[in-house]
This record gives sequence, C-alpha cells and structure tokens, in this order.
Amino acid sequence: MNTILKVNDITTGYENNKILQKVSFSVKKGEFVGIIGRNGAGKSTLLKALRGFLPLRQGSIILFDKDIKDYQQREMAAQIAYLQQQIELTFDYTAKDMVMAGRYPYINWWEQQGDDDLKIIEACMEYTGVSDLADTPIRSMSGGQRQRVLLAKVLAQQTPVLFLDEPAAGLDLFYQEEIFRFCQEMCRRGKTVIMVVHELNLAARYCSRVILLHNGSVFADAEPEKVLTDGLLSEAYGVDICSMKNPQTGHADIFTVPVQADVRKRQLLDTIVGAERMGES
Amino acid sequence: MRTYHRKLVTAVLLIAFCVVFGLSLSAGQYDLGFMQVVGWCFHQLGLSFLQDMDISAQQEAVLMFIRAPRTVVGLMVGAGLAASGTVLQGLFSNPLADPGIIGVSSGATMGAVLAICIGINSTSMIGLPIFAFTGAIIAVSLTIGLATRNGRIPVLTLLLAGVVVGMLFSAVTAAVLTIMDDHKVQQYLFWTIGSLDYRRWEHVLMGIVPISLGIMIMLFMARHLNILALGEAEAKAVGMPVAKYRLILLIVAALTTASSVCISGSIGFVGLIIPHMMRMLVGPNHKHLLPASILAGAVFLVLCDSIGRILLTNREINVGIMTAVLGTPYFLYLLRKNTGIK
Repeated sequence: MNTILKVNDITTGYENNKILQKVSFSVKKGEFVGIIGRNGAGKSTLLKALRGFLPLRQGSIILFDKDIKDYQQREMAAQIAYLQQQIELTFDYTAKDMVMAGRYPYINWWEQQGDDDLKIIEACMEYTGVSDLADTPIRSMSGGQRQRVLLAKVLAQQTPVLFLDEPAAGLDLFYQEEIFRFCQEMCRRGKTVIMVVHELNLAARYCSRVILLHNGSVFADAEPEKVLTDGLLSEAYGVDICSMKNPQTGHADIFTVPVQADVRKRQLLDTIVGAERMGES
Repeated sequence: MRTYHRKLVTAVLLIAFCVVFGLSLSAGQYDLGFMQVVGWCFHQLGLSFLQDMDISAQQEAVLMFIRAPRTVVGLMVGAGLAASGTVLQGLFSNPLADPGIIGVSSGATMGAVLAICIGINSTSMIGLPIFAFTGAIIAVSLTIGLATRNGRIPVLTLLLAGVVVGMLFSAVTAAVLTIMDDHKVQQYLFWTIGSLDYRRWEHVLMGIVPISLGIMIMLFMARHLNILALGEAEAKAVGMPVAKYRLILLIVAALTTASSVCISGSIGFVGLIIPHMMRMLVGPNHKHLLPASILAGAVFLVLCDSIGRILLTNREINVGIMTAVLGTPYFLYLLRKNTGIK
C-alpha cells in the first residue's frame, strides 16, 4: 500500500502555547486511523495542523508527495474534507444547502452548481440516510440527523482523505456505531479516514490503527489491540484502565477501574451532599 | 417540521411590486386615479389597454416629472439598501448587521453635513450626493484598512473598526453642526431622516448604474456568500479564500449603499429588517434570499413613501419615518411568531 500522508517531526500550537511537539507518523491509503488521548492531549490541534489551519513551527506535512504549504486552497479542499468538532450556524440553512457547500472546491468562481453536483449531493444524502430532510432547516433537526447531514457534506467533497473531529460526539449508541461503520466501509473502498475518537470501545472495533497522543507527542501508534492495553491507556489517561477481550465481538472492551476515594474527597462530598444539615456525620 | 415558502413569497412580492408601483404614481396631493395611472403606464409601454382613461397635459407632467422619478428612486434605493443589508448580514454571519455597521451611514452623513455647511447643496443638485458618497467611501476604506491584518479580515475586528470609525465621523459631524446656523441644521436634519421628496430623473441617472451593477454582482456572488455565511472555519474547509471574497463583497455592498444613501438621504431600517424578514420566509440560501430581499426592499420603501403621502392631507411624512413606524411592528410580529414555533 502506498503512503499518502507523511508527518515529519511537526511542532505546533497556539501563540505561545506549544501543543504538539515533534510528532511524526505516516498514513497509508485505505487506513482508518483513530486519534485518541485524554482531553487536552492535542488531538484536535493535530487534525487542524494536518489540514493546514495552524502554522507549523517546525517540521513538514507531505500530502500526496507535495508539501501542504504548496497547495492552493481549493486544491487542498479537493484532497481533504474536514468535519469540525462544532459548527456554529448563524443561519438556518436547509440540509440540501449545507451539503451543497461540499461541492464548492469543484466549481469555478464564475460557474453555478450543475446537475452533476446535484446528483452527487443526492447520493451522499441518501447514503447517510437524510434524503427526506433535504428541505428541512438544520436547526430543527435532532443531533443525529444534523451530524449525518454534516457527514453528507463532507462526503460530497469527494476527497480521497477525510478528517473527522469527534463526529460521534453527543450521538446515541446507534448513530455512533453507524458513523464508524460508514467510515469502515469507505476505507475498504479506498478512502482514508483520520478521526479524533473518544469512544475507545468503538475505536477498538472499527479503526484499523490507533494513534495515542500524550502530552503533545505520539505515545503509541499501532493496531488497536496493541495500543488499547491496560498499561499504555492507564499511563496516558492517568487513571487505572482495564482492557478485556470481549468474547462476543472479539475486540477489546475498555473500562476504568474505580479508585478508592481518599479522605479529603470524602470530606468534600460530605459538604456537597449537606451531610451535617441532614443530621449525619 | 418547518419549510420555506419560496414560490408563494415570490408571487406575492411580484404582485405587490405592481400594485405599489401604481399606488406610488397615483398617491399624493395632486389628484390622480389609480386606473388613470394604470392606463397611462400601459400607454407608455405602447399597449392600448384602457385608452379611454383621459389624462390632461398637467396630470401627465406630474406623472412624468414628479411621481415617476420619485418612484423609480424609491425602488432603486429600497432594492440597493436591502441587497447590501443581506450581503453584510451574510458576510458577518450576523443577522443584526446593517449598512451602518461598517461606517457607511456616518461617513455619508459627514459628507452631507459638509456639503450643507459650505452651501454646495443650494447651488448644485449633485453636490450633496457627491459629498455624501465620498464621505461613505472614505469611512468604509478606513474601516477595512483598520481591520485588515496580515491579509485577513477578522469579523470581530471589522465590527469594532466600524464602530470606532462611525464614532469618529459622528464626532466630526457634531463639530460641524455646532458652527452651522439654524436653517442649515434643519436641512441636515431633513437629510438624516431620509426622503424621496423632489427627486428628479437626474437622481435616477446618478444612482442607476452603480446600484444595478452592485445588485448584479451581489446576485452573481450569492453562491459564495452562502459559503461565507457558514463561518470562517467552514469556508476555509471547503477551500474558499475567505479574505478575498470578504473584501470583494464588502466593497460592493459599501458602494451600493453609498450610491443609495447619497440620493435619498440616510434611510434606516430597510437594510436591517428586510433581509431579516425575508430570511424567515424564504430561508438563508442567498440564491433565493437576495432576489426576495431586493424585491421586498423596493416594494417596502415605495409603499412607505406612498403611505407617507396619503396619510396627512396637508403635508407629507418623510419616508425614513415611515420605514421605522411600519417596519418595527411587523418585524416584532415575525420575530415572535418565529420563536413561537421553536
């Protein structure tokens, strides 16, 4: 398989705050890469940097044998589609309007959308199951519907590479799995997905590879079963984590092991529950 | 679930456009029947309906040289202000933006007050409009200049720059006002309220090219505006050079507003409420929203002007007053109705 993305020793962050330091890895075509790590480990920052939204202090990112600095904006948008973690919409666009935005990189500035574009967005909406919602304003949709519309928008960009920043956040179990299934299917058909993931169990089941970030560096990078282990996770997340093979699925199931609350915590809890007022001690 | 009623709204607007056009030609102190006006319009278009509607030479002169230019100026200004308002709201992703926000109004006002102060408005018909236009352009250039950093135009900086420039120009206006005599202050006051009184074909000629050109460019850019209105991050993610398009649309909206304001005086409310109203009715897609706003802006301004002429028997009410008086209650109604659904 051929390498499509090569990250060489990058250091980046916001203003005076270095978030990522000396991060290196490469991604091959058809991989479904999950980026995991505790809050603040630099997962979203990494995705932004890879897309070229953050200036690099050091290192380089090579996409299809070309430095991302040398890409034109539209050219880049035809290679990588990027689903942000949160989209704040001021205006209540319909699903169709929203998905149509995904066609922007393919239309010259003087042209208007054509029938081909319409056909593509209809296919994308049907695939993610939101065809019926085409004329519905986004803000009157449920979280799951909305996320599937945004996914359709990203698919309409027809890019070989997809960056998804926590696409399953806030969704119920069914939709969470569905998004992972979509991505797995697409990777099998030759697309490459890099996804920031919080749901470790789903990462274990669907991702072909997991990158664990810790303190702004790559802590582990391998197949899920090699990364999602008690030792590595416990150290990176700072809590005791237990990873067991689920006999039904054959994949890892991850639990946190409850820690015995210390004396101070118990005292605090007394205050919070109002133990004294309630006549307890 | 909510849907938008685009076809219905367009049909209603087109009918309203025709009715308001006739109403504006027939309304006023000099008596002209609605059907007489309709007959005259058909006659002017070379059609022979309603030929029996006789019209005197005097009546024709009133129509041709007073009411028709006034109506056309109203349509142009209404369309221009509403289109610019729509574009600015999309550009800032902020439904409360209006042409005043980038300093156009305060710049134009300063230009106008200078023209009145040196008395150029009483010697030449185009003196004041040229001053107002220049003032508006200087203010907008200053705003954009202040807000541009490393080839980027951040929305928040632009808004703040607009506020600051607006304050500066208002201060200059106030300073000039303090040294003007009462008669001139009255003229200034009249200008700030905005009026379509005594508008001639010269005013139409002055505004028609920049306003229609501006409107055409905005309509053409509707697709890009849709992307910009999704916010900077989304626009970048689909490969849009955000700063470039922001700048182009800002300049077009500023020029269109300046061209409108310089021939009508500063008319508030149209640029703010018409886009907002239309967005509630046809949705935020600028391909539908812009044409609807343009049509509605034209209809609304001319309707306000006509009502202002009919309401009192002995004098007219300025169109700027009517837009606020009529616009506010309807706007509030729409706002409440809309939040009620959610």
